[in-house]
Amino acid sequence: MLTFIGLGLYDERSITVEGQAALRAADAAYAELYTSKLVGASIEDVAEYHDADIEVRDRAGVEQQPGEILDAAEDQDVAFLTAGDTMISTTHVDLRLRAHERGIDTRVVHGTTAQTATSSLTGLQNYRFGKATTLPFEYAHGGNGVPQSVLDTIADNRERGLHTVVYLDIKVGRGPDGDDPAHEEYMTADHAAGQLAEHLPDTLGVVVARAGSPDPLVTADRLSALADREFGDPLHLLLVPGDLHPIEADALGELADAPSELVQY
Amino acid sequence: MGRRKKIVDECERLMDEPEQIRNIAIAAHVDHGKTTLTDNLLAGTGMIADEGEATKLMMDTEEDEQERGITIDAANVSMTHEYDEQNHLINLIDTPGHVDFGGDVTRAMRAVDGALVVVDAVEGAMPQTETVVRQALREGVKPALFINKVDRLISELQEGPQEMQERLQKVIADVNELIRGMTEEMDDVDDWTVSVEDGTVAFGSALYMWGVSVNSMQRTGLDFGDIIDMERADERQELHEKTPLSNVVLDMVVEHFPNPVDAQPRRVPRIWRGDDELDIAEQMQLVDDDGEVVLMVTDIGMDPHAGEIATGRVFSGTLEKGQELYVSGTAGKNRIQSVGLYMGGEREEVDHVPAGNIAAVTGLKDAIAGSTVSSVEMTPFESIEHISEPVITKSVEAKSMDDLPKLIETLRQVSKEDPTIQIEINEDTGEHLISGQGELHLEVITQRIERNQGIPVTTGEPIVVYREAPRQATEEVEGISPNRHNRFYLTLEPMNEEIVEKIRLGEVSMDMPEQERREALQDAGMDKDSSQNVEHIYGTNILLDDTKGIQHLNETMELVIEGLEEALEDGPLAAEPVQGSLLRLKDARLHEDTIHRGPAQVIPAVRNAVHRALIHSGVALLEPMQDVRIDVPNEHMGAASGEIQGRRGRVDDMYQEGDLMVVEGIAPVDEMIGFSSDIRSATEGRASWNTENAGFEFMSDSLQKDKIMEIRERKGMKLELPEGADYLD
Repeated sequence: MLTFIGLGLYDERSITVEGQAALRAADAAYAELYTSKLVGASIEDVAEYHDADIEVRDRAGVEQQPGEILDAAEDQDVAFLTAGDTMISTTHVDLRLRAHERGIDTRVVHGTTAQTATSSLTGLQNYRFGKATTLPFEYAHGGNGVPQSVLDTIADNRERGLHTVVYLDIKVGRGPDGDDPAHEEYMTADHAAGQLAEHLPDTLGVVVARAGSPDPLVTADRLSALADREFGDPLHLLLVPGDLHPIEADALGELADAPSELVQY
Repeated sequence: MGRRKKIVDECERLMDEPEQIRNIAIAAHVDHGKTTLTDNLLAGTGMIADEGEATKLMMDTEEDEQERGITIDAANVSMTHEYDEQNHLINLIDTPGHVDFGGDVTRAMRAVDGALVVVDAVEGAMPQTETVVRQALREGVKPALFINKVDRLISELQEGPQEMQERLQKVIADVNELIRGMTEEMDDVDDWTVSVEDGTVAFGSALYMWGVSVNSMQRTGLDFGDIIDMERADERQELHEKTPLSNVVLDMVVEHFPNPVDAQPRRVPRIWRGDDELDIAEQMQLVDDDGEVVLMVTDIGMDPHAGEIATGRVFSGTLEKGQELYVSGTAGKNRIQSVGLYMGGEREEVDHVPAGNIAAVTGLKDAIAGSTVSSVEMTPFESIEHISEPVITKSVEAKSMDDLPKLIETLRQVSKEDPTIQIEINEDTGEHLISGQGELHLEVITQRIERNQGIPVTTGEPIVVYREAPRQATEEVEGISPNRHNRFYLTLEPMNEEIVEKIRLGEVSMDMPEQERREALQDAGMDKDSSQNVEHIYGTNILLDDTKGIQHLNETMELVIEGLEEALEDGPLAAEPVQGSLLRLKDARLHEDTIHRGPAQVIPAVRNAVHRALIHSGVALLEPMQDVRIDVPNEHMGAASGEIQGRRGRVDDMYQEGDLMVVEGIAPVDEMIGFSSDIRSATEGRASWNTENAGFEFMSDSLQKDKIMEIRERKGMKLELPEGADYLD
């Protein structure tokens, strides 16, 4: 049995009670930290708190050599952990399909994820989001500036009046010069806002920082203005709202200090 | 020194008069007397002492050149010559004759308007003569012929006038056949064949410093018969004084080679691919010294005091100290520290060098041989074409760890000075690889590192560079990214030879305007649709994008190309470069989000797809071949041909030429290592021989697997054929 467990948003206590039970019951546990990361706790903290042995796998160890995980799951209960939810934004459905090919039972224990936290913290309605996108570091996508597909996604959503979640790149174990185990870099919302502001300077943006932590931050302003501010520790993400419903506009004013001229409806 | 100062002043005056300038190169087969001729010209114009016999070899400035008695790097001199009551400035580039240094020859040709082809009267036009003349004509350089060593026909071979005439006419006919073949389809060129009557052929002896041409006969009253008599009677000194070689040759140069004002309107469109509507195009064609500065660098040398010296042809504008100029292929500008002209082995600093001249410039730290240096950003001159690709590699290691940084710097320098050298720096092992045109080429380079830089090095055994190439077309092959969310579908087929050749010669490249590239590809047999889909050219391989309207593919293409290049750089069999593949991207499935189709996903997906396609195509190893020509006395002919046959070689022809037998054949470069000492002992040192790179050929099936394993073992790869390549078993 292979159980996919979302660790939630922030630290060792963000996991659900059901997830905790599944982790404690597992014979072996693997985690990947290259797509997202718990900022408030190390994986050792998680292991200690939940009294589990957790082996961290890098990208190659999950994508290219999943054999070990699947071998273990043939006759034992194996837990596979990621920050957030294991199936949102990451690509682990592939691992689940490979397990099914080998006749291994699977189960998903959901975690809280940035996708829902943004709605929760900003008041922007879940029903009014379009396609999400990720803004990569410039060195990581083989081009310069903002990839056209990111701009296209935002433009398409806005045309239809929909909000866009812009996830921000995380690079662990691979830097500008290739593989580098010590490399750890999180794109900040001011950097991202600065990049987008080159194309959309006066557009409203909303920064969500440290969702799920004791001190989350939500701030709305022009992208060009957000580019000049700092938002503290990671993780950050950026929203580009589409048309605002009156309640959404009120929420951004009240919860995100949005300048009133930017949130008229 | 007073005399020299006078000449320098005269050169400075003349460089402002483009009609009185000739930029020329001397090009010939090794040992046909090119360097001796150059020294003759220098002596005749007062640049070095006239010693009767020109054996001082002024031009061979590097110590190893003087020791070996052959010329290696193109060196540059300027001299003055009076003709028709007018003084002229002659900028001369000496070029190496040994084929191992072919890149230098091509580069020199781009900077000059006339090529003096030197042929040995006894040996006649040799394969190497042909190569060099081809290089000249391809660059639009006008030829004239000097037949050297005529004294040997007279004194040594004791030939009569009839015999001699036949022999000389054959040399002229051979050279003309070549010229006609190359220029027939050039519409910017009239009849460039040479003839005695027109004065574009001269004869003489560079050793005894006399010469003769139609012109000189009229002037001196000495006809060929008189000359034969005087040479026979050993009146060589008198002959030299009456009809000095330098006058004969330089008269021919001034009269028959175009000056820059005549040459540049024709040559600029041939060697520069930029927009001909631009001001800069007109300025270059008109040799406008008030125009934008355009310098085409042909050579980078090292001066122990001044540092790096860039030599090149000024096509427009005027070079001056302190100018900030763009260097093609690099960002930012370089500041000129000094400008100068060449005089013998020395450089003379001057305050400016105007359009039409060959200049020596310091301060261009980013320039390499082949760079375009200019005062405005511009389309660079097309990448310099190298007829030869590196075929042999050697490892170089510093004996002392302390020398390591210096060695790396020197190797980088070496590849800057000579783009036919490729280096691969491995800072982890300290074992660097240096690749070049032949055994001798690499030997010379490593000796220079030891001698000039004082870095003791150990070098490995020479290693031959192989190639991998497909043998048949494949079905569609799938490449899947590690996260399995990105998939690429492509096919591969062997590319037709004509296209491969065009890429190799630089007649098809990504640097040229798209329309021109399409036409060149269609001329070489590619269908119209395919020629419009060319996405990338790497080595002699082409990637076509046959897909239509796939979302996100355009921003993924750079990564696709990176994966493609990785796959082609290290082929699937033995990690040798791949050649002659035509790849078609047929379809792609991409993840919605950039982050899941980044380098870590796309590069391996494409690399694997290309390697799998190559294996489906029956990829096999090719080895470099060399044409071999041996001149040997009759009694050693058997031993000489045995040396070729015993090396997996093939003897194609054997014939009598003069008192010698000529053996011509072809053999693998791998087997030719150590040939020079073997042929010496097999023929008691009586053979003279010459090799020329002859491209790559598939190795026979029975040798494939062993060779692949040998290379894999040397490179520390797994000792098994890649999956699916069992057809090589």
